[in-house]
Amino acid sequence: MKFLNSKNIQTIVIIVVVAGLLFLALSGYLTPVFNLSLNPLISFQRWLSVRYLSASDFLTTPSDVVQLREQNAVLESQVTQLQTQLIEMEERLGEAQVCFALLDFGRTNPQYEYIAATVIGREISPFLQYIIIDKGTEDGVRYGMPVVTQQGLVGRVDAVIASASRVKLISDTTSVVNIQLQSAEIEAQLQGSLTGDLSLDMIPLDEIIEPGDVVLTSGLGGNYPPNIFVGQVLSTQQRENALFQTASVQPIVNFESINAVLVIDNFESIDISPLIPEP
Amino acid sequence: MISHLVCALSLVVFYSLQTAVFSQATLISGTADVVLLFLAAWSLQEQVKNSWLWTVIAGMLISLASAMPLFAPLIAYIGVVSISKLIQKKVWRSPILAMFIVTLLGTLFQQGLYILVLQISGADIPLGISLDHVTLPSLLLNLIFALPVYAVVSELVGRIYPLEVET
Repeated sequence: MKFLNSKNIQTIVIIVVVAGLLFLALSGYLTPVFNLSLNPLISFQRWLSVRYLSASDFLTTPSDVVQLREQNAVLESQVTQLQTQLIEMEERLGEAQVCFALLDFGRTNPQYEYIAATVIGREISPFLQYIIIDKGTEDGVRYGMPVVTQQGLVGRVDAVIASASRVKLISDTTSVVNIQLQSAEIEAQLQGSLTGDLSLDMIPLDEIIEPGDVVLTSGLGGNYPPNIFVGQVLSTQQRENALFQTASVQPIVNFESINAVLVIDNFESIDISPLIPEP
Repeated sequence: MISHLVCALSLVVFYSLQTAVFSQATLISGTADVVLLFLAAWSLQEQVKNSWLWTVIAGMLISLASAMPLFAPLIAYIGVVSISKLIQKKVWRSPILAMFIVTLLGTLFQQGLYILVLQISGADIPLGISLDHVTLPSLLLNLIFALPVYAVVSELVGRIYPLEVET
């Protein structure tokens, strides 16, 4: 009976209690008790963790910010460089497209020699339609040379200095171009206007002109070479009791947005004004 | 000396801006004339004594560069500066108002002169269309740009004339 002394009994009771608690815990009977006791602990742990992370952030962030700012500055400079490169590439692409288009025009019209020029300005007076190009006598540009783009006729050289020229557009109010209508084989004169619109005058009433008819230079008068595309007939006007009909022409060249032109180098314009009898 | 230099450089800048930018920015068919505005603003400044000289120089150079016949820009700019000098004496207390009046009268004078000169030289310039499509839009644009140009010129003059006094 020595086995049942008080010490052993105490041990057995503890083992039984622990085993019972384990049994109760494993069987889920103690879950409410655990929840009740662990929730405050978890809350406290969360609070402590958040404070620790905040404190840690506070202590470590300044170095990170400096580092991030440096990285940001590097990235911003890279972005700026790339944007600059992109703009340069876009500009070059635009120039290349214009050059290719002008080259195409040169290839399709191999009988002429061309001087490529860039438009650098416009006439100061709004009443006149002129452009200024960056090629002059030093580059072989002479008075009276016709000027075209890949699309069609632009005008002719009106004044030249060593390194620049002034070109009178066909839309100028004093400009007159002898043209032919491709479909109807009619020859007429194309006149510019104050507003830049082009019109055909002195077309006989019995001639049938349709909107969309192609307008080409006729070569008459000696100012422009023949068969250069000018535009298309937009509409016709016939007034009562009028002897002739008129037509509006949509120019193929957008004169507002010309950036580059070709000066036809080997065309000799002929001045026929001495042959015209004075009134 | 500095004022001559500044005026010459300003004219070059304003002429370049005119041919490269303002002549391409059209309202209907009208354009602003910043050279006219510069000369008007320059001549309205009380300290400036060389406005006639630079008006003649600018007018001659622009007449040579422009396709306008009969030195019309020179006459137009002389007219504008004359108006400016007259207005300066009458409306001396309010220079910005004077600038607007000079812009209004000067633009009308310039456009009227251009129409007259072009008609004399044989161009077909219908008066009604000129007024609707060129003159009134140009006048509006000039009035819009009058204030910034006047501000720039006043700032320039304010900076150079104290320097001239010091030297």
